[in-house]
Amino acid sequence: MSPFLLEGGSVSQMPVAEGKSVQQTVELLTRKLEMLGAEKQGTFCVDCETYHTAASTLGSQGQAGKLMYVMHNSEYPLSCFALFENGPCLIADTNFDVLMVKLKGFFQSAKASKIETRGTRYQYCDFLVKVGTVTMGPSARGISVEVEYGPCVVASDCWSLLLEFLQNFLGSHTPGAPTVFGNRHDAVYGPADTMVQYMELFNKIRKQQQVPVAGIR
Amino acid sequence: MAEVISVGVNLEAFAQAISAIQALRSSVSRVFDCLKDGMRNKETLEGREKAFIAHFQDNLHSVNRDLNELERLSNLVGKPSENHPLHNSGLLSLDPVQDKTPLYSQLLQAYKWSNKLQYHAGLASGLLNQQSLKRSANQMGVSAKRRPKAQPTTLVLPPQYVDDVISRIDRMFPEMSIHLSRPNGTSAMLLVTLGKVLKVIVVMRSLFIDRTIVKGYNENVYTEDGKLDIWSKSNYQVFQKVTDHATTALLHYQLPQMPDVVVRSFMTWLRSYIKLFQAPCQRCGKFLQDGLPPTWRDFRTLEAFHDTCRQ
Ligand SMILES: [Zn+2]
Repeated sequence: MSPFLLEGGSVSQMPVAEGKSVQQTVELLTRKLEMLGAEKQGTFCVDCETYHTAASTLGSQGQAGKLMYVMHNSEYPLSCFALFENGPCLIADTNFDVLMVKLKGFFQSAKASKIETRGTRYQYCDFLVKVGTVTMGPSARGISVEVEYGPCVVASDCWSLLLEFLQNFLGSHTPGAPTVFGNRHDAVYGPADTMVQYMELFNKIRKQQQVPVAGIR
Repeated sequence: MAEVISVGVNLEAFAQAISAIQALRSSVSRVFDCLKDGMRNKETLEGREKAFIAHFQDNLHSVNRDLNELERLSNLVGKPSENHPLHNSGLLSLDPVQDKTPLYSQLLQAYKWSNKLQYHAGLASGLLNQQSLKRSANQMGVSAKRRPKAQPTTLVLPPQYVDDVISRIDRMFPEMSIHLSRPNGTSAMLLVTLGKVLKVIVVMRSLFIDRTIVKGYNENVYTEDGKLDIWSKSNYQVFQKVTDHATTALLHYQLPQMPDVVVRSFMTWLRSYIKLFQAPCQRCGKFLQDGLPPTWRDFRTLEAFHDTCRQ
């Protein structure tokens, strides 16, 4: 049910409550945060565009092209992230977008593939919480929740602590530990780990495209 | 005070030594000039070589002569601040405007006062230890009797001894690395890195810990010019809290006669923060209280508690 982010962080998809709209659920969440004592600190935005290998470069074997995701995160305004599913994550300057235009012959952007999440940042003690509305084209598709615990650099060290924090305002909807926490035991958490979690979250939401919003469980 | 003011600088010899240094410099540059110019035109090749070698030898001789002169003078100059009990601060006594800036006499007063305080505190601690309720204090009473007169010598321990104590502690704890530096003269500064959890800057005076600042593993601990930043605090509330507790610990671990035991106890206590984000509170069983993990560690049991959950 939930991909995750961060320095002890987590991005998860929040199920929309029965009979409520995405907007109403976001309001419910942010109200809970404010009651906890969290303070508003500006806004955030994470976007993602899908590219696939151009047909001309695939050759005659008919192998499937690999998907590449080009992402931006307002927390890192000077960077651009390029990711492959299960693959490496490249962190580049924002000039990378221009390069992608030049590489049109090799990578083509998938039609109407742009997906993004926008919302408000909240600070509570050393926690940074970002609740965002995920939109594809004109429609709201879901809710993303990212929690970052800045003091801790090893994700698996503070998972229990994060979980306790999440329970405070997500109630029973708390996610399972994201894969980032498991596979690299004591690695230092970095921006790429956050982006991988957003990519996985977006992919999941894309697959749920046709499901009515209220039915996600 | 009188012997302090006669710091033993022979000013005349000093001036001569400076001109000797200038002479040495110019004779050395003459050697290099000669090498740079190489062999000058002479009728025969042999003549050229001879002239060059003779010239080169002359130059080397004058370097030798100037160097000997400088060495002779440097013995006359004397050693101004070495062995001075106040090290370089003793040079303050050379300030001619005593009346306007009585820094030096104030410094001496403060030094005497601090020595006296140290001495009396040592005596008091010896007495208190004999009737202490603390379990750990029992052996102390005995050793305090064995050494009845505690000199304030712990303030002037040789740096080598401090280095040894610190490197022994460093080897004791594999998950803790201690880097010692002396950016401001004899006082040591330690940068302690505990796992991937936190970093601690420890400012020492001899073997006493003067100040300590705790920061996050990913926080910068240096100033712009590359020195340890001993003034700015952590950006995270959790480490500000741990800094407060560490300062409390400095006041708790006190044995004036055995400063090395104090440093070791403090480091042992500090090491218990390796589980800062992983240990729930031993009282309420939770991880978070007011958004903070259990930041307090019991001085004896090293158990984790929230600040408000400790007794
Ligand atoms: Zn507690």
